[in-house]
Amino acid sequence: MEVNINKKDGITIVELVGRLDTPASLEVSKTLEGVQDDAGGTIVLDCSKMDYISSSGLRIFLTLRKAAAAKGGKVIVKGISNDIRNVFMMTGFLNLFQIED
Amino acid sequence: MKLKDSVNKVFLKQSARAGLLLVIVAAITLEATGIVQYYFSQKGIKEEATRRAESQLEATKLKIVNIVDQAEVAVRNSIWLAQWALETPDSLYAVSRRIVENNPVIVGSTIALVPGYDKKHPLYSPYCFQAPGETGIRVSSLATDEYNYPAQEWFIKPLEEQCGYWSEPYIDVGGGDILMTTYSYPLRDRYGRIAGVLTADISLDWLTDLVGNVQVYPNAYSMMISRSGQIMVCPAESLVMRRTAQEVIADMDDTSAFSGVNRSMLAGERGSAVIRYNKDVTHIFYAPVEKTGWSMSIMVPDSEIYGNIRRMGLIVKLLQLLGLLMLILILRALMVNQLKFMDLNDRKERIESELHIASEIQMSMIPKIFPPFPERKDLDLSAAIVPAKEVGGDLYDFYIRDEKLIFCIGDVSGKGVPASLVMAVTRSLFRTVSAHESSPQRILTTMNDSMSEVNESNMFVTFFIGILDLATGHLKYCNAGHNAPILLTDAKRPLPVEANLPLGVMPGFNFKEQEIDLHYDDAMFLYTDGLTEAENLSHELFGEKRMDKVLSTRRSSDDQMVAIKEAVREFVGDAPQSDDMTMLFVHFLPESLPDQKERHLILHNDIQQIPQLAEFVETIADEAGLDQGCAMNLNLALEEAVTNVIMYAYPPKTDGLVDIEAIIRSNQLEFIISDSGTPFDPTAAPEADTTLGVEERQIGGLGIFLVRKIMDSVEYKRDGDKNILFMTKTI
Repeated sequence: MEVNINKKDGITIVELVGRLDTPASLEVSKTLEGVQDDAGGTIVLDCSKMDYISSSGLRIFLTLRKAAAAKGGKVIVKGISNDIRNVFMMTGFLNLFQIED
Repeated sequence: MKLKDSVNKVFLKQSARAGLLLVIVAAITLEATGIVQYYFSQKGIKEEATRRAESQLEATKLKIVNIVDQAEVAVRNSIWLAQWALETPDSLYAVSRRIVENNPVIVGSTIALVPGYDKKHPLYSPYCFQAPGETGIRVSSLATDEYNYPAQEWFIKPLEEQCGYWSEPYIDVGGGDILMTTYSYPLRDRYGRIAGVLTADISLDWLTDLVGNVQVYPNAYSMMISRSGQIMVCPAESLVMRRTAQEVIADMDDTSAFSGVNRSMLAGERGSAVIRYNKDVTHIFYAPVEKTGWSMSIMVPDSEIYGNIRRMGLIVKLLQLLGLLMLILILRALMVNQLKFMDLNDRKERIESELHIASEIQMSMIPKIFPPFPERKDLDLSAAIVPAKEVGGDLYDFYIRDEKLIFCIGDVSGKGVPASLVMAVTRSLFRTVSAHESSPQRILTTMNDSMSEVNESNMFVTFFIGILDLATGHLKYCNAGHNAPILLTDAKRPLPVEANLPLGVMPGFNFKEQEIDLHYDDAMFLYTDGLTEAENLSHELFGEKRMDKVLSTRRSSDDQMVAIKEAVREFVGDAPQSDDMTMLFVHFLPESLPDQKERHLILHNDIQQIPQLAEFVETIADEAGLDQGCAMNLNLALEEAVTNVIMYAYPPKTDGLVDIEAIIRSNQLEFIISDSGTPFDPTAAPEADTTLGVEERQIGGLGIFLVRKIMDSVEYKRDGDKNILFMTKTI
């Protein structure tokens, strides 16, 4: 799992590459602890290269979303595949996030 | 039927004979009682009649004697006076007059001298008498040639016998046709010579009344005869003083009857007699009046004495007859009832036995010889019905058609003949419908419809039908309210079943069919609740836990059967079995199943091993030909399930294994995840509510939610020291 974080113009872009499975999520959640500070602004979670997400991955997404909600920022999920979109749909996450292609 | 009829006849005959005997005994007893009673009553009545008659006779006699005595006394008291008067015969009449004057009963008196006693009068008898209707006393002389008193009985007899003498009664023609009698007493002069007789006449008018009024019984009558047999008093007045009793008797058709009595009476005897004359029976009681030589008799018709008792006897007899008649009627009714009852009992028994036979016939068609298919190596079957005392309604059945094993188990509600009958019907329906229908759902629907239609007795059947494709191991099944069979694969677990409704409850019910794949050495245990509800003496139930302990996987059906039977027997002990107990083991041992692959993966409880699982799932997805999306979902579900085990099954920092078994079939994937950790049921964890907003949304609970969402069935089971999670996914 590869995580690339870019901050530009007050927008934090988090690029997730590969499988966000349970062991990966453990690492990613640590990596993204800093990103939570930017939750007041806009966080873009770029999933266009993410193949897979487990419930622990979803939990990271939800944690960020809650932080943004608390700080008045927003979280944009970008480029999810149809399969992952399906998982988002099953879990009701489609309603929680702003989804962009 | 013939035997029964003849038994009935024999019974009828015997009953009739017994009844007849009873009636006869009752009749004899009644009759004997009647006779004895009658005899004693008659005796008593006879004694009473005799006593009454005798006391009447005695009373009447006393009255007569009382009157007669007055005359005797008056005469005897005047004897000395007459002796003195003999000195001057002209004064003799004064003595007679005195007697008449002083004694009202005496109507006339005379002193009649022996002819020649007085020189002056060769015959001398001055007669003083009280003429009827006059107050004064008249005097006349009896010394007339026409009368010739020395020839009269009253003059001769006392002189002959030298004592007082009562004459034969006579009608006093001169004195007004009065019945009279005379008492005469010999008179001697002072020198001891016979001088004549002193007499006193008394009227016997009162005698007729006295004797005539003797009424012992209303229709009894009395008679008085003189010593010569002259009839003095008699109801037939024409006979009085005109005939003697002897003359009357001589005129009778049968003289013998009365003559004996008459002789006794004339002889002055006392007694009684029963006289049959013509058709009349008369009781005669007689007694003499010794002083006058009369004999008085009372005649009582037999009917008068015994009339009441005869009437009573007749009434008693009628009552007896009535009683006997009633006895006969009651006996008859009893017999008829008994016959009816016997007939009913008989019919009930016959029906019961016939129904029993019917159910036995049905049961006999059920395969009972094991192994049922000795030539088949892929099936190991064992079944048993342990019947309770009462006929029950359990059934099982199985047969092979078109390489499919069609099997069922059922339990009819209720017990006894109705249940066994319904069982027979159910079994026959099962065979008929399943003969050309291979969908369990359609079989049950048809069976249910036809059973509900005619189900007036509201009996229902819990039923389970399975159709196992022996070529593929694919089992289609449908349940109708029966308890879930136990699936014996690597683990033991109840087969997931839709409860649906028992057969016969609701016509048109839509049964849901289910399916599962069996693999080599898998088995199914079907049973009725007679097993789990078997009670021991302290009314504990055998229960599913005990059953579960006894059942084991990978064992032959025979061994299973022996083990479970033994366990139940041991548990129940001496308690009576209250319900049928039916068990069926279906053990599947195919040599090879096409179209099926198994994959196995064992992981340590380390989260870092998850990628291995992903690889494993990838392979399976490939083999099953899943598209990318499905593969990802499958991966997701497996990862969530396995992660759960890795994270929570074992205490932290202890090493443990997670076993993942996958079975890949053409249309289904099955996963069995087991571990030896602490009991942990992931399906019991709270699920995430995916409808909530950001703030309310919980972080956890998504894992099991996803598993459920993705898989078609998820079941947890704790088996021994293992947690087992079964998951299937239809593809």
